[in-house]
Amino acid sequence: MEYLLHLAILFSIYAILGLSLNLIVGYTGLLSVTHAAFYGIGAYATALLLIKTDIGFLMSGLIGIILAAIIAFLIGMVLSKFDGDYYALGSMGFCIIAFSVFLNWQDLTRGPLGLPGIPKPEIFGIEFSTSALFVILAAVILIAIYFACRCIANSSFGRVLKTIREDEQAIQVFGYSTLYFKLTVFVISAMMAAVAGSLFAAYITYIDPSTFTILESVFVLAIVILGGLANLRGSLLGALLLIMLPEILRFVGFPGEIAGQMRELTYGAMLIALMLWRPQGLIGEYKL
Amino acid sequence: MDIIPQIIANSIIAGSVYTLIAVSFNLIYGATKFFNITHGVMTAIGAYAVFFFGKQMGLSVWVAVLIGVLIAGMIGWLLDRFIYRPLREKKASQLALLVASLGAFTVLQALIAIIFTSRFQTLTHGVGVQKTFEIAGGIITQTQVLIVIAALVVTAGLMFFLKCTRFGKAVRAVSDDNEVSKIIGINTDRIIGIIFFIGSAIAGLAGILVGFDTAIEPTMGLVLLLKGVIAAIVGGIGSIYGGAIGALLLGFVENFGIIKIASEWKDAIAFGLLILFLIFRPRGIVRT
Repeated sequence: MEYLLHLAILFSIYAILGLSLNLIVGYTGLLSVTHAAFYGIGAYATALLLIKTDIGFLMSGLIGIILAAIIAFLIGMVLSKFDGDYYALGSMGFCIIAFSVFLNWQDLTRGPLGLPGIPKPEIFGIEFSTSALFVILAAVILIAIYFACRCIANSSFGRVLKTIREDEQAIQVFGYSTLYFKLTVFVISAMMAAVAGSLFAAYITYIDPSTFTILESVFVLAIVILGGLANLRGSLLGALLLIMLPEILRFVGFPGEIAGQMRELTYGAMLIALMLWRPQGLIGEYKL
Repeated sequence: MDIIPQIIANSIIAGSVYTLIAVSFNLIYGATKFFNITHGVMTAIGAYAVFFFGKQMGLSVWVAVLIGVLIAGMIGWLLDRFIYRPLREKKASQLALLVASLGAFTVLQALIAIIFTSRFQTLTHGVGVQKTFEIAGGIITQTQVLIVIAALVVTAGLMFFLKCTRFGKAVRAVSDDNEVSKIIGINTDRIIGIIFFIGSAIAGLAGILVGFDTAIEPTMGLVLLLKGVIAAIVGGIGSIYGGAIGALLLGFVENFGIIKIASEWKDAIAFGLLILFLIFRPRGIVRT
């Protein structure tokens, strides 16, 4: 039971990452591989504030989200001028920079040693110390994020995003400042990734830079593409399948180090196969 | 001791490594117009092939290097034949190709880690046995001399090859317009296959040289790729000559940058240079 709850919590965290990345990749058609950076910013901000201050989980999570928003705004100012492969490359570069900050700013992040002993979250006097309680917290946040994404996707703002994806120049002719829209969705998505980071830090109670590499971004991208681009239910499906996948591999029985590599190998191969035979994913509405 | 000659030497060496990757990346980009992420992992493939044949099987260094370069080239050709060419035939977008290459990158990197473990390895047997040369106050090792020579030979060779041979003419035609080349009877798929072979072989060579100079690990490809691509964009994407110029500039900026800043931030400096160019001169020095 404990094990199923653990999987459910991981599913919630990755579903949040998948949903938020789908806003950029699926709806706006911009290939971003920098999601792990904002996930990490949220996680580190929450972890540091929980360890060093006593402002509580909600406040530290909020500060993490604001910090992610500010950084996303600055990065997005540059990134939003581009599209296609330049966008992908720029986002990849930023992900590597963020990783090197987590790794090398040792006074703050303790570098490769990581941050142990992050306290479990406490909100309004309820301490979410058991998995059963934590899964409720994670599920509530996931549902909130899902409806927020749905609101965005169905709003006029979301329709503009889809038009940017289909033909950026056409909508510019109608007087829309596409840079502003791309920047806004990037910031919103980064804030949601930071929420996932806060949850992760408080749940695992230990974080180190190796969680927030570019491979994590590729993993979230695989979730989005497998489930389906521009379909929010697809991201939930993708997260579910890809969280189950390593558990299935676990039953096959690979030794520890190889198991991690097998996971990467599998989702890498899956990305190739999807591009070759089903570029829109399982239930997607748009293909790259 | 004056430090400037050493920094200049280091800049040229770093620039030469980036040159090898940037020109081969540009060669492939020119013909296919997509960001081939897998190009990065070719460096690790070359290096690990030398590790296997040279150090574990005990073949002589030159034979091992030759095998390593050929294996990298072959794998590049196979990737094109079985992944990128079918995608091109399906008229997949550049982003779909990019995602597929990201998948292939993840698969190959994980495979190397499974076979050879993810520990650091060295290609040479002892430490500090390399012959060193002193030029105008800067000290460089034998391997580093080879790196500089390789970069010069490869760049000059490619430029000659593209300009003066019949095959080079066909490559330029394919780079210019794939459809028209097909119409006038050029076997574009064959040409692109050969380009993948040559480009990947050059990247393999770069990985081998880096391996002899420092050490190898399965993840070495990503940072090398990022530097190579930054150099390629800064110089002018798709241009051989531009790639070399951009690589040298990047080498100098990085190494002079770390006089004032700690050397962990090299990657951040490189990315900063890319952002400056993306904002002020997005088509690079040579303006392709």
